[in-house]
Amino acid sequence: MKGRMLVMILGAAVLVCPALAQSTPSPSPTPWPLPAPVEKELASRASNVTEVTLGKDTLAFAAKFMDGKDKDQAAVSQLVEGLDGIYVRDYEFDKEGQYSMTDVEKMRQAFETPEWTPIVHTREHNGTEITDVLMKQVNGETRGMFILTAEPKELTIVLILGPIRMDQLGELGGLSGLGSVLGPTGPLGGVQHAPHGNPNGSAKKGGSQ
Amino acid sequence: MNRRIWIPLGFAVLSVAVFVPWVVRAAGAEGGFDGVVSSIEQQYHVRATRIPFMSLASLIAGGATHGGVGQVHIAEFEHFTRPADGEELNRIVAEKLGQGWQRIVRTTSRQGNEQTLIFARGEGNRMGLFILDLDRNEMDVVQVSVDPEHLNETVGRYEHHDTDGRESN
Repeated sequence: MKGRMLVMILGAAVLVCPALAQSTPSPSPTPWPLPAPVEKELASRASNVTEVTLGKDTLAFAAKFMDGKDKDQAAVSQLVEGLDGIYVRDYEFDKEGQYSMTDVEKMRQAFETPEWTPIVHTREHNGTEITDVLMKQVNGETRGMFILTAEPKELTIVLILGPIRMDQLGELGGLSGLGSVLGPTGPLGGVQHAPHGNPNGSAKKGGSQ
Repeated sequence: MNRRIWIPLGFAVLSVAVFVPWVVRAAGAEGGFDGVVSSIEQQYHVRATRIPFMSLASLIAGGATHGGVGQVHIAEFEHFTRPADGEELNRIVAEKLGQGWQRIVRTTSRQGNEQTLIFARGEGNRMGLFILDLDRNEMDVVQVSVDPEHLNETVGRYEHHDTDGRESN
C-alpha cells in the first residue's frame, strides 16, 4: 500500500515538474485601460505597429540614466520618476478605411469617467481626421493625459499617467514615440507653458470643443 | 521492511533528479536567453551564429565600463527567410524569458518582415535589457545587464573628451 502511494507521488512529481518549468508567468498588471481585443484587432489590420509600454518601475529606472548634474536632464528625470506610466500605440494602415470610427469610439469609452475631462476635440476633413485630448483631474491636480489622433491611414494613442506639469511636458518629447505628439506639429504642439501654480491653464488648443 | 521501501525510493528520486531536467530541456523548456534562441531555432528552422569567447568579451566590457555593462549575450541569425508572425515571436520571447521581464517596446512591420522587441527587467541596482531585432533576413538577439550610474560615468567621461576636442578646434 505504502509502495503504491510512493509510486503515485513520484509519478505525479514527474508529470508536474516539466509542466511547472514550462508555465508562463502571468504578466504584471498595467493600468493601460484600453480593451485588449480592440488593440489586437487594430494590430492585426495595421501594416506597421509600434507599442511602447513604460510602467512605473521602468520609468523610475530610466530616470537614473539621466545626468543629475545637468539642470534640464535633472528636471526630466524628476518628471519621469514621478509618473505611473507612459503608453504609446501607433498603427499605420496600407489603405484608408482599415479601421472604423467604432474602433475609435471603443477607445474613447474607456475614458468616459468623471475623472477624465476632454480639453481638445477637433474634427477636420469631414471627420476623417480627429484629435482628442483628455486630462485626468484628481483633487484639482492633473494626474493623467490621453491623446488620440486619427488620420485616414494612421491611428496614434498616447497615455501618460501620474502627476503632470504642463511646463515640463514638452521635455518628454525626447522619449520614444512621444516626439510626434508633443512636438511642434503634434496635437499638443501649441501648448503654452503654464506657470507652475496653474498646470492646466493654457493647455487648450484651437479647435471645436 | 524499511530497506524494501528506501532502496526503490532512492532510485526513484535519483531518476527524477536526472531525467526531469533532461526531459524539460528536451522539451525546449530551457529559459532565459538560451531558451529564447533555441526556441527560435526550433520554431523557424534556423541556426544561430554565436560569437566565440563571448563571456570573455562580456568580462572585458564590464571592466572597460567599470561594471556599467555586463552579462552580454549575442546571437545572430543570418538566413532568416521564413516570415515571422509578430504575435508568435512575442509569445516565444515572453514565455522563455520568464518572470520579471516586461515588454517595453514592440514594433512590427509587415512590409519587409521587420520586428523589434525590447524587454526590460529590474536587477537590483541594474537593469536587464533583452533586444530582438529582425530586419528582412537577419535577426539579432542581444541581452545585457546595465548599471545606469556606472554607465553614465563612462559615457560622461567620453562626452567631456568630445566637448574638450570640439572646444580646442
